[in-house]
Amino acid sequence: MGNIKALTGNKAATIGAALSRPDLIAAYPITPQSSVVEGLADLVHNGELNSNLIQVESEHSAMSVVQGAAAAGGRVFTATSAQGLALMYEPYFRMSTLRLPMVMALATREMTSPETIWSGQQDAMSVREAGWIQIFCDSNQEILDMIIQGYMISEHPDVLVPVNICYDGFYSSHLIEGVDVPTAEEVNAFLPTPSFNHAALDPRTPMALDPLTPGNILMKYRKSHLEAMQKAADVIDSVDAKFAAQFGRYYGGCISEYRCEDADVVIVTVAGMTGAGMDAVDMARENGVRAGLIKLRAMRPFPAARIADALKGKKAFATIDRSVSFGWSQGPVHMEIKAAVADLDEKFMHFSVIGGLGGADISVDELCDCIAYMDRCKDEACEHETRWLLKD
Amino acid sequence: MSYIDILRESKNIMTPGSSACQGCGGELTARKIMQIAGDNSVFAVPPGCMAGSGVDGWNYQNGALAPIHITLLGNTAAFMNGVSEMYQRKGRPDVNIVAIAGDGASADCGFQSLSGAAERNSKMLYVCYDNEGYMNTGFQRSSTTSLGSRTSTTPIGSVINGKEQQQKYLPLIMAMHNIEYCATASVSHMADFVRKVQKGLKASKRGFAYLHVFASCPTGWGFQSHESIAVARRAVKSNAFPLWEKEGNKYTINFDNKNPIPIADFVKGIAKYKNLTSESIDSMQRHADSVYATLKKLAAE
Repeated sequence: MGNIKALTGNKAATIGAALSRPDLIAAYPITPQSSVVEGLADLVHNGELNSNLIQVESEHSAMSVVQGAAAAGGRVFTATSAQGLALMYEPYFRMSTLRLPMVMALATREMTSPETIWSGQQDAMSVREAGWIQIFCDSNQEILDMIIQGYMISEHPDVLVPVNICYDGFYSSHLIEGVDVPTAEEVNAFLPTPSFNHAALDPRTPMALDPLTPGNILMKYRKSHLEAMQKAADVIDSVDAKFAAQFGRYYGGCISEYRCEDADVVIVTVAGMTGAGMDAVDMARENGVRAGLIKLRAMRPFPAARIADALKGKKAFATIDRSVSFGWSQGPVHMEIKAAVADLDEKFMHFSVIGGLGGADISVDELCDCIAYMDRCKDEACEHETRWLLKD
Repeated sequence: MSYIDILRESKNIMTPGSSACQGCGGELTARKIMQIAGDNSVFAVPPGCMAGSGVDGWNYQNGALAPIHITLLGNTAAFMNGVSEMYQRKGRPDVNIVAIAGDGASADCGFQSLSGAAERNSKMLYVCYDNEGYMNTGFQRSSTTSLGSRTSTTPIGSVINGKEQQQKYLPLIMAMHNIEYCATASVSHMADFVRKVQKGLKASKRGFAYLHVFASCPTGWGFQSHESIAVARRAVKSNAFPLWEKEGNKYTINFDNKNPIPIADFVKGIAKYKNLTSESIDSMQRHADSVYATLKKLAAE
């Protein structure tokens, strides 16, 4: 412990991946993820990392190469953003439905059009029904730690679902924070070598991986995938606790709460905006507003029970989304938070907040305004109009 | 050992219950390649006629006596690149890594993946069985469909008469990737075919090996199933499909056509060509002559 280094989020992801001892890495450069690939290439080319590194010609091939390696029993890693994720969607969906474990870093980015290269969460949110576990991080320390945890979650025999470790493009990928870097020995003691072989292309145990499968059998696979996702919620919590026992850092599992115990009004945040959200909560508290914050860490599996538990007894909540749901006039996370509390007896005052698209900042002031509005109207229990964090 | 003994003494890996059409050149290609590669192999067969006929399996059943995966239409070479890397890493380079894909999965949708894996010289044997179109989905055109062909997406219409473009000549494109081994083969010339599969498997231990096979298609092209081998033989004899190989930098023409039959004789009796104009036949002849002349020059170097 105590090996603090100044690292960008991408560098933290690089080190997290390297410490996890992947057999194979395949990746393709894309802003804002590129320095993850560059960092891993440096390590391999300098003999500091014993992984097979495949420099592919596209993200479609990146996900395909790692899929082949995982089907041959390997632990694999890749990273991407936005358009790259869109291009790899075909093998991406198949990675989860083949139930092959892996970790992919996703430096989240807005989707084009309009043409953009900047931050946003539209890429990750658009693939939330692709069968992957999605975990969002708000610090560079959390990125490094969650990549290591990600392999343990993904390879857990009750799970066997690939994991996306998501963090804000630029805001996290390119900004520097102090990160406590564990040693290889420490990580080796935590993370065993992979031993999954349920779907293996090996002449010693010949099997057809994915024969043509009619509906009734296919539904059994889907059902078991959904059940694995539900188990994954518990595994995320237990792996986090296990990690905390060894490394002394605990993130709360699928969600983490900040000053929620006696709160009337709660904002729900995802990834890097959480820091601004905590400042806004502190400022509101100074003004006598009983504010709290829920940081949603796992978007998939969606921790509905824990959300409902955390919001029980509160008067109002607002969800801050860095992406939109076309057709709902609100953010996708807000829709899901609403669904999570739908069966509670109480009614809430609540609304969706959309901001930070295309790299725009989400400021503490804007979140203070949201909390103030929520506090003013907290007794008007119904859905209020979606707020857009637009500057004049 | 003669090629007949090799085929007689090797185990049949592919399901005997394949539902491929009678006289299918693709089925013959896949069956013989799997037989020669043997069961110490990992096979990939993406969507196409061979996957459709059950080679990848059905329900809970395997369609082969070896590990096999139905890759995506567009990712076969990249997927097998990953499989191959793991077998090198595990210290088991003896396992054959073999992809058997159609022309759509190789020349069209899967072309980028194929080119990428070839450029990386990934250790595998990649076989394209070229039946000149998407025959499994109902005979749609691909980039290897020959000029003038009637397909379901290039019909004989009152304004447009079949396919308007010449076929993409994938084998030479692959040869330009500086791979370990590149060759063409035809189901009509089995001695040559078997030798090239063996060479390709051997080369796949060093890097990327590519084999492009002429796979005649009675159902899609429109001829009697018993004519399949004869049609393939005419393709070779007319230079519509020349047989050659490239090892290292050396090109060899394996069937040197001293007196090629005219393209007009090759297309005779094949329904997909029934509306060819004399201009189209001339154009096909010039194209075949030009490709062959290029190959002769390459082989003379």
